[in-house]
Amino acid sequence: MNENETNALDFNRRDFLKGGSVATLMTMLGGVELLGETNAAPGGESKAPDAKLKVGVIGLGAWGREILNTLALVPQADVAAVCDTYPASVRRAASLAPKAAPTEDYKTILENKEIKAVVVATPTHQHKDIVLAALKAGKHVYCEAPLAGTIDDARAIATAAKAAKRSVFQAGLQFRADPQRHFLVPFIRSGAIGTWLSARAQFHKKQSWRATSPKPEREKELNWRLSKETSIGLVGELGIHPIDQATWFINALPVAVSGFGTLALWKDGRDVPDTVQAMLEFPGGIVMNYDATLANSFDADYAMFYGTDAAVMLRESKAWLFKEVDSPLLGWEVYASKEVFYKETGIVLKANASKSVPANAGAQAQAQDSPFNNTPLFYALQVFLKNGIDVSDKVEDATALLGADDAEGIAAEVAKVQRRLAAGYLDGFQAAVTAIKANEAILTSQRIVLKPEWYELA
Amino acid sequence: MRSNQNNNDMKTRTFITPALALLLLAGFSVQAADQMTKYYARSGSKMRLEGTSTIHDWQVEGTLIGGYLEVDSNFPSEPGQDVKPGKVEAHAEPFIMVRSLKSVEKDGKPYNDRMDEVMYEHLKAQANSKISFQLTDLTLKEPAKSKDAPYVFEAKGKLIVAGVTNDVTMPINVLPLGDKKLKVSGKTSLKMTDFKVEPPNPLGLGIKTGDDVKIIFDWMVAQRNPPAAAAAK
Repeated sequence: MNENETNALDFNRRDFLKGGSVATLMTMLGGVELLGETNAAPGGESKAPDAKLKVGVIGLGAWGREILNTLALVPQADVAAVCDTYPASVRRAASLAPKAAPTEDYKTILENKEIKAVVVATPTHQHKDIVLAALKAGKHVYCEAPLAGTIDDARAIATAAKAAKRSVFQAGLQFRADPQRHFLVPFIRSGAIGTWLSARAQFHKKQSWRATSPKPEREKELNWRLSKETSIGLVGELGIHPIDQATWFINALPVAVSGFGTLALWKDGRDVPDTVQAMLEFPGGIVMNYDATLANSFDADYAMFYGTDAAVMLRESKAWLFKEVDSPLLGWEVYASKEVFYKETGIVLKANASKSVPANAGAQAQAQDSPFNNTPLFYALQVFLKNGIDVSDKVEDATALLGADDAEGIAAEVAKVQRRLAAGYLDGFQAAVTAIKANEAILTSQRIVLKPEWYELA
Repeated sequence: MRSNQNNNDMKTRTFITPALALLLLAGFSVQAADQMTKYYARSGSKMRLEGTSTIHDWQVEGTLIGGYLEVDSNFPSEPGQDVKPGKVEAHAEPFIMVRSLKSVEKDGKPYNDRMDEVMYEHLKAQANSKISFQLTDLTLKEPAKSKDAPYVFEAKGKLIVAGVTNDVTMPINVLPLGDKKLKVSGKTSLKMTDFKVEPPNPLGLGIKTGDDVKIIFDWMVAQRNPPAAAAAK
C-alpha cells in the first residue's frame, strides 16, 4: 500500500467531512448512510409523530402472528383489523393487536375505506381470491411468498398487481427489502468474489410441521402444508427465499431445475417430502444447490456464494467474506472485523458498520452502533407501508389539486412516486414460477428445463 | 350594468352621440373587467429546492404544484401573442404540499427517508401542510422574442413557508404552449431563518445545513374545467 492509500484510510474528522473517496470507502465498509435510521429527533426536540397507514392482516396462523408482532415495532403501522376464518386464531391475534377490529370475513376489511393496506398471510392456495379482491378494492397489498401454488394463479395475481396503478403491491420476499442485502448486491456483482462458481443454501430444522387440533376438519385445514394439493412443499414455502436471493445476486433467471425428495422421518400420512434437494442451473454454468430437511437441525439455515476470489456466507442478516489466499487485497479488509469459523476466517460484511462513525461523534450517533439489527421482515413491512403512504398521499393530493376527472394527470403523478426497493409483482411471480417447477422436479425426480415464456407476464 | 340614459328622440344628433359614446364606453370597460382568464394546475410541474451543508450539497424535489392563475387580456395565452410590456391584472395562489417534497440524489433518485422526516419537522409540516405563494403584482418586462421563447415578467407576492410570510420579488418566465396551456417558470432564493426555519443539524455530529436555499420551479397550468371535487371518502 502506498502512502496515499494509507492517508485515505485515516479516520480523522477532516477526511470524514470531506466526502469523496472516503465516502466510497465508507460504502465499502458498509457505511452506507451517515444519517442512519433513528427515532431520535434533531437537536433533542420531540419528534413529530410518524405518518401511519391503517393496515389489515388477513391470515393469523403462525406467520400471520409473526407479522403482527413485527408490525407492532414498525412506526408506520396502524393495525386496524385482523382476520381469520378460524375464531380461535382471531382471538389469539387480538391479544397481539388489541386496537385492531377482529373479523372472520376479509370482505369487511376491504369495504373499510379507512384501511388502505392489507397483508395477506393465509395458506398459499387462498392468496389469489383475497389479493384480487383487495386490489379491486384499491388497497395496497403485501402478499406472502409464494404468491400461489400454480403458475396460472401466480400470473393472475401479478397481472392484477401490474394493472393496479394506484396500489402498491409487494411480494413477501423479505430479503429484497433488507438493507444488509442492498449493500451486498452491488458488492458481489462488482466482482468481490471473482468469477461466480456456485451457490448453496440449506434449511435444517428437526420439526414435524404438523399442527394439531381437536377438530379433524380443522386439523386438515391447519396442515395445508403437508398435502400436495395445497402445498408446494419445503422448496416452495421455505426455499423460495434463498433461491430468489441467488437469482437476485446472480442477476439471471435459472434455466433448469432438478430435484430429489423423500419422506424420511415424518411418516404420518402426509404426501409432502420432509427432505428435499433441488439443483438450479443458472446461465454461465452457475449451479445452486438447495437442501432442506425437517429431520435434522445441524447448522440451521444459511446461504453461500462461491467465487474464484472469495466466498460469502449469509446467516440471517449477517454476512462474512472468506477470501482465497491468492485473491487481490482490496485494502480495507485489513481494518475490518473478522470472525473465525473452524479453520476459516471470515471478514464481517456489515452495512453501516460502527467503525464508519468517528470517535468524536455525539452519544446519539454512538447509540446507532448497530442500526441494522431489525429482521428482514421488519424492513419489508416498513418499506411496504412507507411506499403505501407515499402513493396514497399522492393519489389524495393529485385528486385534490388536479381534479378527480383528470385521471390522466393523476396517473402521471402517481407514476412519478419513487418506490423504495422491495420485491414487486414481477419478482414475486418469477420466484413463484421457479419454486413451483422446483417442487415439480422434486416430486418427479427429474430435470425440468425452465422455459423463458413461463416467466413472462402477457 | 349601468342604466341606459334616456334618449329623447327629439334631441339632436350631436347630443346623442356623446351619450351613446358614454354608453359604449361603459359597456366596453365592464366587458374588459370581465375578461379575466383562469388557469388551473395541471400535471407535469416540478419544484426543486437546492441547498448546502458542511458535508455535501442537497436537493429536494416535488412534482405537484396546485392552485390557480387568473389574468387579464393583457396576458399572453398563445405562443407569439402580441402583448405590450406593463402591469397585468393578475391573481395567483400556487402551492405545494410539504409532504410531496422528497430529498433526491443529484440524478433524481431517492436520497434518504430520515432527511425527509427532518425536513418536514423543521418546516412544521403538521401545522403548515403547504408552501404557498400569493401574487400581488405582475408586470410584463419583455415580450417573447419568438413563438418558442418565453415572456419575461416580474412577480411580487407573499411567500408563506412554515406559517411565516415574507415578501418576495422574482423574475418569472411564461411560455404559452398552445392549446390553452402555459408553463410558468421561475427561480428565487431565500434564507431558512427568514421563515423562522432552523437549519437542521443532524445527529449532533457538527454537520450544519446552510441557511441559503434556491427554489427553481416549472408550473404547468391550463384553461380547463375547475378541479372536480373528489368523491366523498
